[in-house]
Order: sequence, then structure tokens, then C-alpha cells
Amino acid sequence: MPAHKKHLTKSFHQRFAKITAGFLGGYAVTVSLFMALSLWWDRAGVMVTLIFGGFILWAGLMIVAFLFRNGWLAWLLYLVLATVFSAVFYFNQYTLPL
Amino acid sequence: MSNRIYNVLFHTHTVSGLVISVALYVIFFAGSISFFRDDIIAWERNQPIKAQTQMNADFDQILDTLATRYGDLRGRTINIRQPHQERNVAVTIEPSQDTSATESAKRSVYTYLDTKTYEEGTYYSTYTLGEFIYRLHFFAQIPYPYGYLLSGFVAFFFLFAIVTGLIVHWKKIVSNFYLFRPWAKLKTVWTDAHTVLGLIGLPFQFIFSVTGAVLIIGTTIMLGPASSLIYNNDRDLMYRELLDQPLPPAFTNHPVDFDQSPNELVKRAQSSWNNAVLGRLCIQNYGDESMKILVEARPQTRGALLGLGRATFDKTGVLIDQTDEESINYIVGVDQMMRRLHFGDFGGYGLKIIYFVFGIITCFVILSGVLLWVEARDKRSTEPWKRNANQWVASIFVAISLSMYPSIALLFSMVRLVHDAGDLAPHVFIYSMFFTSWLILSIGFAVCRNNYLTNKYCLLLGSILGFAIPVVNGVVTGNWMWYTYNVQQLQIFVVDAFWFVTSLISLLVFLRLKTRQPEPLLEKEAPSEACELVEASTF
Repeated sequence: MPAHKKHLTKSFHQRFAKITAGFLGGYAVTVSLFMALSLWWDRAGVMVTLIFGGFILWAGLMIVAFLFRNGWLAWLLYLVLATVFSAVFYFNQYTLPL
Repeated sequence: MSNRIYNVLFHTHTVSGLVISVALYVIFFAGSISFFRDDIIAWERNQPIKAQTQMNADFDQILDTLATRYGDLRGRTINIRQPHQERNVAVTIEPSQDTSATESAKRSVYTYLDTKTYEEGTYYSTYTLGEFIYRLHFFAQIPYPYGYLLSGFVAFFFLFAIVTGLIVHWKKIVSNFYLFRPWAKLKTVWTDAHTVLGLIGLPFQFIFSVTGAVLIIGTTIMLGPASSLIYNNDRDLMYRELLDQPLPPAFTNHPVDFDQSPNELVKRAQSSWNNAVLGRLCIQNYGDESMKILVEARPQTRGALLGLGRATFDKTGVLIDQTDEESINYIVGVDQMMRRLHFGDFGGYGLKIIYFVFGIITCFVILSGVLLWVEARDKRSTEPWKRNANQWVASIFVAISLSMYPSIALLFSMVRLVHDAGDLAPHVFIYSMFFTSWLILSIGFAVCRNNYLTNKYCLLLGSILGFAIPVVNGVVTGNWMWYTYNVQQLQIFVVDAFWFVTSLISLLVFLRLKTRQPEPLLEKEAPSEACELVEASTF
């Protein structure tokens, strides 16, 4: 019954990458996505959705990070997504207001 | 699903579940009892409250009392709420905005006021057993913010464990649902119980992991970046927007005489609502030209699950605006829904009992998960020292978890028997009583290293101490169960009946427990010599 070891990640830096990508990267993607969405939709509505929907999305992203064979690729993906969402938010909020 | 993904998710489920197990057990056990928080407080104070009598207070008298005690109310905003079903109301008074106000009127006030005797209490002097168990379920006894963060992240990782567990179990959901093999080896028993009860409890557990995380770390963690980047650290603005509160009127510094009776205003507001439950009375800028009186109410849960009615009066008692008590928007609706789902306060005692049973089922799922983890590794191919360490982990986890039951039962009787009602710091007594007995029982059972024995005697102890609670209450206060039932002091009756029924069930389980002690690990399979050596060197 315990999970077969041959399928599990053995190297420390890969484990570290997957756990941090899911936990930190997943959080960054979640929060930046909702903050970008708040520019188009009703701000308060998006924010209260973030309070509960954010946890569900974040948990999902944590699971997805473990599915990658290479944890650093998960980091790359989350970093790109979070950067895109943050950029959308940043440029609309501070330089080119809609 | 590929074999790799199955095994990877299986492992994340095991590790995340094991890491949070004890903390999650404490949360669910204390949380399940907390469904009866208000009843426990009424029981402890011997103050039964009639159902649907929330905020049944004389507001004129309350305002007069506050004015004599805290100085002139002019220019101040007064908030009166009753967050729980009890006799006290919570009052906050903001400092006066009038710059020429006296020193005492420039202080903010936070107090609890008894609506019958007008006695006041601070948070600690009105601290109760019910409040203690409620706070234990989010580790508020650990200094802020660490206790809150710990419980919030435990809830979040619980969500992770639920979803990974569901994915791992996906293919066997139907085929294994009817599978229970109580006479097979222990590992099989724990597996069957863990998966079937986990599946039955899945919606309940999903709701509680999400709402729990929302209520405890929703704003701090999820809104952290937004509060600084969107709301520019203006917390008043943020909360006003996210709780859908109107902008408070600007202070004009033109004093006016306020000759309206707040009781009358509340009555007028309520007359156009259909039997709504009063939630809040807020008087903004008292005695100023800009003064406004807000009365808020929610529908009775029989009528609608959610709703917020708000009536606004001006200084002369003219109704400016009123919304229907069943009117709701998305923003207020989300907040109310999270609380409704988490507190289980929308279906009377029937729903609370169902919620309680599901909470205890979840405790069982947590413990069977830990035991399953140990049994699955208790085999010849595992190194003996590892098996030994696993057994220690299991016995410590089981001892801490199960000894909560007798410790809480003992606490109820002790609060009734020994505790002095005039104590100004009741939390000291409650803390020392509970944590000492919990610690002693946990260590005692853990060093016995016999889960069967821990289970058996925690049940017996909990049962005996639980039976004692209605008896002690009857002897000390004269409120025997048949009396409280006859005079409809429902809250007090519910607490005594709760302990009577749970004690009866634990006693029956105790009597039906058959001795099927697994032989001690080291004698079972491993070659004895090597193990004795290991044992001698390990301990």
C-alpha cells in the first residue's frame, strides 16, 4: 500500500522545487489573477470571491505542481503566469488606467 | 491516471495528512463541541435564553447607562451588537469627534453589558468554558497571530489532503463503498473505515476546510497584497467595501438635541420587517446635526438562509431608507454564507446534532489515517527501528487525541463544582485545569504504547466523567434534566442531555470492546535477537 518509491521524487532540490512552486508560486498566481480580474469586474465582488475561491484554486495549483516531472518547470510556469497577471494589474492600476 | 501520478498524489496525501493530523483532530473535536457553544455558556452561567429573543434589550436604558459611565456621548458613534445568543450585548463607543470634548469622551470603549442587571464585564471577566472550547478549536490560546495562522494553514492543508485523497481513491469509490472487513487484519480495517467514512463525510469536510480557512486566514493571507496595492492600506475603506457598509456621515459639529427613543426607532424598523431577528443598532455621530441611527436585522432562518435588512433614521427620527430583511447582495451573501455553513446555525438542534456527528466521524477518519499509515509500514521489509518509531508516533498521536474527551468532560464538572463565579480571571482556572489534565493523560497513555488500552480507558473515563456532569449540575444548581426539560430551559437541558447521551454511547462501546490486542510488534515477526538489540540501544 504505501506509495511505490520508484515513482517518487528522490532528489532534494526537485522536492524543494515542487513544494515551493505549489505553495509560494501557487499563492502568487492565485492572488495576482484575482487582482487583475478586479480591474474589469466589480472590485468588491472579485475580492470576496478571492477570499474563498482563492483557497480552492491555490490547493489545485499545489496539486498540479506535484504532477510535473521537473519541479523547476512548475516554478517557471507559475512565475510566468504570476508575472503576466501582475503586469496586467500594475499597468492598469498605475500607468494606463482603464 | 498514470501509475506515477497515482503514487505521487498518494504520497502527498499521506505526508500532508500525517503532518496536520493531531492539530486537525484537536480542531475537529473542539469544533464539534463548539456547535453548542451558546448552550454551554447558558449552562455555565445558569442563564437560559429563549429562542429567537436576540437583542431583547432596553436600548434607552443602555444609552443612559453608558452616558453616565463613559461621559457625554455627543459626537461619538455607538455600536450595539449581540454576536451570540446570550444575555450580554457587546458595546463599542468610538472617541468623540468633537475636539472640545472631555478626556473621558475621547476614549474608545469596548465592553459587555448584561441586558438585565446592567453589570459590565471585560472580555476576560466574561470568559467562559464555551468560549474556551470555541477558541481552542482555532488555537487562540497560542499568542496571536501564530495560533490563528497555524489553524488556518491546517485547514488549508486539510483541503489539499481531501482533494488528493479523493483523486487517489477515485477509481475505487463505488467498488469499495460497500466494503468493510472488520475481521480482517488491522490494516484492512483502518483502510476500509478511512476511505468509506472519508467519502461519506467528503462534502462536510470540504465545506469546513474552505470555510475554516476563510474565516481564520481569509483576510490576512488572501487579501494581504490587495489591502496594500488596491486599498492603499486604508483598512476602513477595505472593510467598508467588503462588508458593504455605508459611508459614515461626516461630523458637522452642530450640536442638536436628540429626543427620540431608540427603542421606538427599533420598534418602527421592525414593524415593516416580517419577524426579523435584530442584529445591530448603530448610532453614528450622536447628538450632531449629521446623526444617523442604523438598525440592522436578518431574516429568521425558517424564512430565508441569507439576508440583511437595514433601516436608517435621521436625528429627528425620520426614516430615510429601509431595505427588506430578505434582501441580499453577493458581497454580504458570501460573508453570511461562510458563517452559516461553518457555524451550522440555520437548522436548529437537529442540524447541529448532524454536524456534530459528522465532526466526530471526521475525527475518526483522521485517526484511522494515522493508524493505517503505521500498519501499512509494520512489515518485515521495514527496518525494526523505523517500525518502532512509527509505533511511538502512533501511540503519541492516539494518546493526545483521545485524551481530549475525558479532559473536556472533567473540565465541565470542575467549572461547575470548584470554580468561583465571582472570579475576575476565569480563563486562568480553565487553562490550568484543562491543559494539566490533558497533558497528564496524554503522557500517561503515550508511554503505555498500547492504542487499544488508550482507546478503551479514554472511553471509560470520558463516559464516567460525562455521566457526572448532569449530576453535578443538578446537585449544585438544582437544575436536574427533568426540571429543565419541563420548564423549557432548553439550552441547559441540551448540555446535560448531550453529555448523558454521549456518555451512554461511549459506555456501550466500552462494554462491547473485545480484546483483540495485536501482539506486541517486536515479538510478532522480526527475528527476536536483532530486535532486542535494537530495542536495547534505542531505549
